[in-house]
Amino acid sequence: MKPTPTMSDQGTIARTATAAVTAHAVHVPGADGDDALPGALRVPACSAEQAHELLGRKGLLGKDEATRLALCAVHRALGRPPRAPRPDHPADPATAVVVASNLGNTATVARIAAEARERGARSVSPLDAPTASSNVIAGAVAIWFRYGGPNLTLCSGATAGMDAIWLGCLLLRSGRAEQVVVVGVEPGDPVAAALHANRAGAVPGIPLRAAAACLVLRSAPAAPGAQAVLELSADPVDVGDGAPVKELGDTYGAAGVLRTALAVAELEPGGRTRVICGDRVDGGRELWVGRV
Amino acid sequence: MPARIAGSAVRTCLGDGPATFAALLRGEDGVAPLRHQDHAAVGVTHGYEIDDDRPEAFHGSHWLTACLRDALAQSGVDPARQRTVALIGTGLRELSAVEDGSAFATERLHFAHAVRQAAPQTEAVHTLAGACSAGGHALALAQDLIELGEADAVLVGGADAMTVSMLAMIGRVADRPADRVRPFDAERRGVLLGDGAAALVLVPDRGEGPGTARVLATGLSCDAVHPTAPDREGILRAMRQAFERAGRAPGEVDVVYAHGTGTALNDPVEAAALRELHGSPGPLVTAVKGAVGHTSGGSALLSVAMAVHSMEMGLVPPVTGLRDPLPEADGLRLVRGAPHAADVVTAQVDAFGFGGVNAVSLLERLA
Repeated sequence: MKPTPTMSDQGTIARTATAAVTAHAVHVPGADGDDALPGALRVPACSAEQAHELLGRKGLLGKDEATRLALCAVHRALGRPPRAPRPDHPADPATAVVVASNLGNTATVARIAAEARERGARSVSPLDAPTASSNVIAGAVAIWFRYGGPNLTLCSGATAGMDAIWLGCLLLRSGRAEQVVVVGVEPGDPVAAALHANRAGAVPGIPLRAAAACLVLRSAPAAPGAQAVLELSADPVDVGDGAPVKELGDTYGAAGVLRTALAVAELEPGGRTRVICGDRVDGGRELWVGRV
Repeated sequence: MPARIAGSAVRTCLGDGPATFAALLRGEDGVAPLRHQDHAAVGVTHGYEIDDDRPEAFHGSHWLTACLRDALAQSGVDPARQRTVALIGTGLRELSAVEDGSAFATERLHFAHAVRQAAPQTEAVHTLAGACSAGGHALALAQDLIELGEADAVLVGGADAMTVSMLAMIGRVADRPADRVRPFDAERRGVLLGDGAAALVLVPDRGEGPGTARVLATGLSCDAVHPTAPDREGILRAMRQAFERAGRAPGEVDVVYAHGTGTALNDPVEAAALRELHGSPGPLVTAVKGAVGHTSGGSALLSVAMAVHSMEMGLVPPVTGLRDPLPEADGLRLVRGAPHAADVVTAQVDAFGFGGVNAVSLLERLA
């Protein structure tokens, strides 16, 4: 069902956005051997520690788990060969980056604070400085792949992934970007896992799963090479507990992007797939994935 | 449809918006030895803390809710009747709760709860992490939503409370701890954090209603050069984009509220960019961080609120903490010592952050 524009007291508002997906990738370490998972997820994906196998060694020092997974997902979406040299052209001002992540820097922040309290500020490493700020992943993606357009990070909880897609569409519609690289990513470290379990909206028995996914968006329908078209509305929807998949675990802020990337990968001819994300506390969002 | 600022409110170490602007005009500041931090742990001794009956935790949320209540009351917007979306910019979210280590409902890391305390019927709350220019990014997207007819009103917020981790990074990289922020000063010794929050209510400008300014445009760019150091080209791209989107020329600007962090790197880079964009003699240039510290996610919106006060009162406050300008500022009309009387119609607000994220906003006084 197509989301219906609704009335406000100031008139009808057309609030359905569309965008074309020109590239996508999922990067979920450890998923490739798990027969219980959808086929599109079961692709070999290196762990954050092994990210150099995909990205090459240069530039990874001091980068946290989520940043590494995010870089891997973008690298794969762009179809770059393993250890391909990093682009060195001037930053492209027409490409934006929108990242969704809630827990990417929480372990580093907790560690810096503990180091400072135990041994003083002289003991902390300036290498960690970028990670003290919650937008570290989006900045790293922009520097790595040379994207000079608007650079956003969504930290809005369980809906963050789909919020990121929605804001990516907004950047296209407002002429702020011609192409948007959307990334959803969460790490799997113990600090993040504990924070995830402490959510008021947590579903008991479904732990956090480290995962990253990437969608490259352009304005629909003109985009050359479009793989699918997304339609989404600003309207919140009730998604209950967000239907996390027990076998996978919960990918939290990454879920909206990951599920959309999977729907694009598995889209059948003439098919149209509804994707949801969210939970009982943060609310829910939906979008539709269809053929061009 | 253009976007009007129908309400605005701030909380800083100097008080609410009118109190903060009055203190700026008097050249006062709110710097003091840090009361809520262990100086040895963070390597920083001074800051611009809000001295209030703060709750145990979630201080940024506390100030943000207060700002949103004030701004909404001024605006006359009723989120129960008007489709209202919230965009909240932040550098550090509520990460101090993570640092403290005790369990809390993790949803409190972002600002949906804080917004709904002030405006329960807000349709969606988006928390945008964008370091020290997060509020400027929220303002840019809010204007887009108004212009595209996606919302009847947008609550634009910025909020941050200090974290041990960010303070420790400031302490780590300083030769010796600064005792105050001196924007654009030759003897500046770095940035200090300030507690604070700011909120604006943006509505379509139908030529009537509360408010004295509209948002013309905000330019957004990412340097894509260095994780923490600013880049002149990236900053200039955001500045030029703001003028392109607004259909205005730099010569029309009456005052620049600069980012002005008092750091070794920001101030010469920003001064060079302003000189290149505006030439000499350009517009008046002021900056607020010497008075209120670096309020991070709230800082862009705080400057916007102060720029609106300048439009209303015809006064541009001096740069608190500035004694002798750095050489790169030669030719900039930095306001020093006393307020400058000026008919402010058009204002530029700069905000740059970690990650190379830049937001430059242009505002215009309503006729």
